[in-house]
Amino acid sequence: MTRTRTPGISRRSTLALMGAGAMSFAAPWVARAQAKTIKIGMPTILSGRVAQLGTSSRNAVMLEVEKINAAGGLAGRQIEMVIRDSKGQPQEAARVARELVNTDGCELMIDAEASSGAFAVHEVARDLGVFCIHTNSETSSLTADPKQHIPNAFRTARQGVHDSIVGGSYAAAIAKAKGLKKWATCSPDYAYGRDTTAEFTLYLKRFAPEVEIISESWPKLFQPDYTEVVTKILQAKPQALYSCLWGGDLTSYIDQANIYAMFGQMEVFAVNMADYTALTVVKNLPKGIHSGNRYIKTFPTTPENAAWGDAYKAKYNEYPTNWSWENATAIMLMAEAAKKANSADGKKIAEALKGLTIKCPFGADGTVTMRGDDHTLVGYAIGWGTTIPQEPYVPEVKAGDWKTIFELEAEWKKSKGYT
Amino acid sequence: MTELEAGRTQALAPVQSGAALRRYRDVLIALIAFAVLASLPLFTGSKALLDFVIRCSAYGLFATSLNLLVGYTGLTSFGHGMFFGLGAYSFGLIMQKLGVSIPVAFVATLAITAVVAGVIGAICVRLKEIYFAFVTLAFQMLIHSTILSWASFTGGDQGLRGGIPRPAFLGINLANHIHLYIASCALLILGLLAMRQIAQSPFGYTLRMIRDNAARASFLGIDVWRAKLTVFVLAALFASMGGMVMALFVSGAYPEFAYWTISGEAIFINMLGGVSTFLGPMVGTVLLLLLNDTVTRFTEYHGIVLGVVILFFALGLRKGLLDFVADWFAQRRDPGEGR
Repeated sequence: MTRTRTPGISRRSTLALMGAGAMSFAAPWVARAQAKTIKIGMPTILSGRVAQLGTSSRNAVMLEVEKINAAGGLAGRQIEMVIRDSKGQPQEAARVARELVNTDGCELMIDAEASSGAFAVHEVARDLGVFCIHTNSETSSLTADPKQHIPNAFRTARQGVHDSIVGGSYAAAIAKAKGLKKWATCSPDYAYGRDTTAEFTLYLKRFAPEVEIISESWPKLFQPDYTEVVTKILQAKPQALYSCLWGGDLTSYIDQANIYAMFGQMEVFAVNMADYTALTVVKNLPKGIHSGNRYIKTFPTTPENAAWGDAYKAKYNEYPTNWSWENATAIMLMAEAAKKANSADGKKIAEALKGLTIKCPFGADGTVTMRGDDHTLVGYAIGWGTTIPQEPYVPEVKAGDWKTIFELEAEWKKSKGYT
Repeated sequence: MTELEAGRTQALAPVQSGAALRRYRDVLIALIAFAVLASLPLFTGSKALLDFVIRCSAYGLFATSLNLLVGYTGLTSFGHGMFFGLGAYSFGLIMQKLGVSIPVAFVATLAITAVVAGVIGAICVRLKEIYFAFVTLAFQMLIHSTILSWASFTGGDQGLRGGIPRPAFLGINLANHIHLYIASCALLILGLLAMRQIAQSPFGYTLRMIRDNAARASFLGIDVWRAKLTVFVLAALFASMGGMVMALFVSGAYPEFAYWTISGEAIFINMLGGVSTFLGPMVGTVLLLLLNDTVTRFTEYHGIVLGVVILFFALGLRKGLLDFVADWFAQRRDPGEGR
């Protein structure tokens, strides 16, 4: 083939070049109009004993962020998540959080840390003024204590005191119906275990004053052998047992207590049972354990919740955890607040988020609310039910009454000197 | 003065002036180092870099103080982190509960640390090697458990909540990032200089003698127990200073600061940097924090990477980085020696 065109710059390429030149001059304005991506930083626990929960937080966040990005992003800006491991150490959580804001240029923050890590990140949020949603810390004082309050931090996790009120009233009703007077407790020996158990028994006794606690066991966190604890409880011969063991501790406890046929001898109330991380791991899940809902796709019994659980399972080949819905809710609220404020600016989102109610698959009535005065999530699905050994594991969950929760919570806040 | 004494004085004079020169050199180096660090914010606006230096100050003081025990005295403490935690908690609690000024809290914390270290040290330093290591570890776990169980006072496993108040004093406002940075650098440099003085003093050489042969030192009339106790308390004070810097940085104190893993990190820093040179632990601190920060940026499997690095130093170099460099220089200078 012979070349027919003369070498040199053709008219067509000249035009193309000019076009490209014009584009490159115009590009900054075009880009500004379309807005640059917004980075959201997220310190969480991706290694160590609770890595599974941290990973499930990340999964849930990514699931929601994809939807929002497909729908046009956060006030028109595409979200880019920067997720980093804190190893479950508070000083690392603080460092990572500062790094995410100062070095990586994250404008918003999802704090998916547990217990002390959340308080460390809270101090960073106080220091840097960055918008921050705590998604996993259930410690009530994080938002209830006015000393902790800062205008830029919120919480979308369930709250310890809410759980205790619902659990106490549910257990009291059963105690009255079945005449359960002698109770034992068995909870991990650290702040969460001690506080939650104390609050649960407080409300149990309030609704059923005849109840008495005849035995208390405090196994160490991550204890491998529960023989001693199980025999102690069996010897005390209680009619009912309360436990807030969780995760691997709960499953090994149940496996070991099964050997002594404990679950046939007393009613068991294990608040953290109804989570897939525990339900699917126990070898022989006994029938009839009472549990609070952590995350279960059959409660609330709405098609939206079931669809969300299935979508998560389809994408990650495992069921979501309690941390998953809490993190997904954070993204949903953030997106809705940004829409209301018509801005992705942290201050404006924080302002719009106060008192915001959104449609949400995890809401008790299909909605959840970010309460304005203490920046914590209310109206989420909360209830108790009993287990069966196969799916759906907890077929019927009795929903807690939010009116009662609000009343008793206000009373509790007063007793703590928070209001 | 007898003739003999006069002769000895003459012989000692150049040695003493040499020591004085070395001391001035150390002070000069310290001043230059401080000037360089303090002027850093003028050249860079990177807050991450300043954060990094603040953390280096905390860990550097802590790791170098451990080297006073491990490298200079031969006391391998597995529980040195208790003083890091004690410093952070004492300082935080004093600031939160008493509302005194920062220098007062600082001095009070050092006093508390000295008393606690005195008691624990009096029990521990009688023991040798593995027994010493394990009893210090046991005391560390005791302090850690106390922090966890005494929840009404320490906040239990949630740590000290609500932030540490940082009222301004003498025109220094530690709530300001730059001020905190300069203060951390100053504490680091002062701490290092003081530890250097201890290491180079006659007392420091006594420690080395105890490390090499405690029986001989004892025969020479040295009260080994007292010397060991003194250095145990001194090292605790510097570790406590490190803890205070960390508490100021995170504006809180957490039980992890007093857990055995923090002692493990200090031992690892010493392995990484080397224990036969004074600045080895400081080099180790920078290396470990640099590794930690870069590796966690890219992967959550940082454990594997750090493990490989440990293996490289333990099996490959068989010594810390600065030890290796020092040996290499010594060999280059005099190829005949060391063969």
